[in-house]
Amino acid sequence: MVGLVLVIALFGLAAVYSATYTSRGPSPLYYKQLIWVCIGIFVLFLALLPDYHTVGRYAYILYALSLVLLVLVMVFGRTGMGAQRWLAIGSFAFQPSELAKLSITLVLARYFADDPKRDGYGIKDLVIPGVMVLVPLLLVLKQPDLGTALMLILTSSLIIILAGIHLRSAIIVLITGLTIASLVFFVPPVRNKIWGSFKPYQQNRIRAFIDPSSDRLGSGYHANQSKIAVGSGQITGKGFRNGTQSQMAFLPERHTDFIFAVIAEETGLLGGGTLILLYLVLLLAGIDTAKNAKDRLGVLMAGGIVSMISLYVFINVGMAVGIVPVVGVPLPLVSYGGTSIITTFLALGLLLNIQARRFMLFY
Amino acid sequence: MLQEDSPAVIQRRLPLLAAFIILFVLVLFIRLWYLQAIRGAYYYEQAENNRIRPVKIRPPRGIIYDRNGRPLVENVLTFDISLVPEDTPDLDATIRRLSSITHVNQNSILQTLEDASSIRTKYEPVKIKEEAPWNEVTIVESHQDDLPGVIIEPEHRRHYPYGGMASHQLGYIGKVSQLQRKQEQTDIGLLTGQGGLEKIYDNLLRGTAGRRMIQVNASGRKVKDLGIEEPKLGKDIYLTIDLDVQRAAEESLGSRPGAVVAMDPNSGEILAMVSHPNYDPNLFPRGIAPKEWTRLTNDPSHPLYNRAIQSVYPPGSTFKILVALAGLESGVINPEEKVTCKGLIKSGKHTFRCWKKHGPIAFHDALVESCDVYFYTMGERIGFDRIAQYAAQLGLGSLTGIQLPDEKPGLIPTPDWKKKRTGESWYVGDSYINSIGQGFVLVSPIQAVRMMSVVANGGHLYPPVLLKQSRDRETGVVKPFPLERGKVVHLKPETLEELRHALAGVVIEPNGTGHAARTPIATVAGKSGTAQVIAQKIPGKKLTEKTQDHAWFVAYAPVENPKIAVAVLVEHGGHGGGAAAPVARRIIEEYLKNAEPKMVY
Repeated sequence: MVGLVLVIALFGLAAVYSATYTSRGPSPLYYKQLIWVCIGIFVLFLALLPDYHTVGRYAYILYALSLVLLVLVMVFGRTGMGAQRWLAIGSFAFQPSELAKLSITLVLARYFADDPKRDGYGIKDLVIPGVMVLVPLLLVLKQPDLGTALMLILTSSLIIILAGIHLRSAIIVLITGLTIASLVFFVPPVRNKIWGSFKPYQQNRIRAFIDPSSDRLGSGYHANQSKIAVGSGQITGKGFRNGTQSQMAFLPERHTDFIFAVIAEETGLLGGGTLILLYLVLLLAGIDTAKNAKDRLGVLMAGGIVSMISLYVFINVGMAVGIVPVVGVPLPLVSYGGTSIITTFLALGLLLNIQARRFMLFY
Repeated sequence: MLQEDSPAVIQRRLPLLAAFIILFVLVLFIRLWYLQAIRGAYYYEQAENNRIRPVKIRPPRGIIYDRNGRPLVENVLTFDISLVPEDTPDLDATIRRLSSITHVNQNSILQTLEDASSIRTKYEPVKIKEEAPWNEVTIVESHQDDLPGVIIEPEHRRHYPYGGMASHQLGYIGKVSQLQRKQEQTDIGLLTGQGGLEKIYDNLLRGTAGRRMIQVNASGRKVKDLGIEEPKLGKDIYLTIDLDVQRAAEESLGSRPGAVVAMDPNSGEILAMVSHPNYDPNLFPRGIAPKEWTRLTNDPSHPLYNRAIQSVYPPGSTFKILVALAGLESGVINPEEKVTCKGLIKSGKHTFRCWKKHGPIAFHDALVESCDVYFYTMGERIGFDRIAQYAAQLGLGSLTGIQLPDEKPGLIPTPDWKKKRTGESWYVGDSYINSIGQGFVLVSPIQAVRMMSVVANGGHLYPPVLLKQSRDRETGVVKPFPLERGKVVHLKPETLEELRHALAGVVIEPNGTGHAARTPIATVAGKSGTAQVIAQKIPGKKLTEKTQDHAWFVAYAPVENPKIAVAVLVEHGGHGGGAAAPVARRIIEEYLKNAEPKMVY
């Protein structure tokens, strides 16, 4: 599994190298990413050292820390792309919402591990975890970072399903959610209020997804250019650093959110398909770890981490191939971005930790 | 025997997650396969032909008008011949052909491309010849097929129709520096304000660049417009400058170095501002040649300097206005009291001279005839701490806050200041010479006109204003710049009465030093000043140009209902009444002649 992780990370480094290459040689962004990956590998092994139960014990503290950082980012945060997302520490920018996604996964795993219900969870049992998700969710929405907020909702839902929610409760939650959503969308005053609270670029993205022709220069343009990039790679790709779409700067954020399009354009179906399969093997290995874990905490932590990573992969790749709206989420292990890289390595380290300790006994 | 902590219960749904993951990967894989294998050829075609290129649309800069809507700065449409190297399969051949059409030599084209290579993005055109003549533009247009990658770029070029006139307040525009480009993220080739109002109001004038997405063919020419993000036009601005008055001021100062400022005393609006020698801002938008630039910056007469606000001079006898005001207001000067002028006054072993032996003389005549001995005496009695307080109230020796770069504050000395600065105490002699505007006192022409405005309007110190209004070119909406209220200077009516009467006397009375400012169309109040450049004249030696006195004249008119205040400074011009007063008269005449019809507007 470690080998698999490294192969994907190398894939990512090559893609970032190509996507940020300038006429004067490799971009400083590439070297930064290289450093991030090295730190990430170190973090991965570091995460193997303590027993994962210890990590589980500290889940609430980690969670509280994320909340504090999210509040800090609101007060002192650095603004980029029209949102306040980054905390500057020296010359490094740290994105607390990335840490929040991991700490929510861990804290939910811990909560459900501590509170076993043989017959599954009902609505009443979901109030506390609901609040635990809602607080960071609102903080992230306030930034505003719609992509991460969406990912928080989806990841937590998956974990709750995994933990064993009653089918009936799940339906009730779903219906309530849909009712609120439709209220938001179909009651004009509420809708206008919420719509108005979005940044213009977010409004454009949503509008462009509903009607791609409405904004040919904006988000619709991005989605379309990404599709052209992917498609034009055909079976074998245009060759490393030869992608016309990506090299000509048609693709925005090509080293972060649209990195998959760069890979698909330059390495074709062979490369892009291989990458997806690598993720599949990795995720299935993660599920295997969960299946073999020896206690509830192990199962839930492993399952939660697998859910989180799989959702990021699906949404990001889905966006690049045009089946998911353009929301800014990174491709785990591949997209440029220090916080994302390190939290992903950390998460995978915990997964390995659970796998390594399944035979150990400690009653 | 499932325990509470047993994982079995919780593992029931793991296969569901696995199924979900496999399903989704399958969906992604099929989608990828569809896009790349089935539709791959189509998208490849798209990517090839989809030579969509973003083209920056730079909006023309806002126009700068005078107060009556006459343009002082314009835009002229010109055409540049540019090259997009990425669209040129055989660069050498294209450069050869381009060189023969434009007469720009091949090496310098290569050099231009080389220089641009580090800063431009791919497909950004490189300008080979700016403002190309019509025949060259038509040749390029008609030989498109032989010149792949060569394009014509229309540009709005900045033009200053009056050349050097008002150049110091208008400023100039130029290419942004590397540093600026980084800080403001502007694109290459963008011209931004680099001096004067062009710089200060750059954000207003510049507008925001738009973007056009065009589809181009293999040689980089536009096939079709795909979409446009309209640029936001820069706003026009209307200055408070009156073109006629400005021109009259420029002409009457002529080739002499110096400065003129004319102000509406009732609002602080600057009607004219001249600094000579000046420079031609038309030299800059094309990118000034390094040789020209060196010539301008090394010129000993400092043509880039705005003498009206950046140069400070000893005010000479014009400073007596302030001493008079301080004396009357504080009650030290009793207008009836006579001081006997024997042509000189002594303090210790130093002798301080008057320009004439006036005999016994009272306030009115002392100001009219500019008696130095009277003001030596009174300045000493009032004391420089008190004089400095009044000077501060009238804005002398401090920044006026005019919206132009690099204003200098000048200086009003006090005994404390001297102690700190030189370690010496303040002597009676210091009071003497500084009371007649020599010694340490330094003021700028704009401070002088502001002082005159306070006397004219009876006690309002307005910040000088250069901008009247801005106009949005898209909506036509005119937005006036708010006038500031200014500070109130409390002055007794008797002080004003006495002072104004004397200043009018300077111009109208037979013994006055300012007849040259007399005009048939209005009554004028004024004061001449002759500021010595060197402390002591060497007897018998004729003054050369560099050591000649500076000539000052400050004035306002009409006396009964002031509409304009003026300060004139002619560097090394000699006597203030002779050299500077006629300039002030000419400006007053020009403005008041037109003042009536303008009231209708």
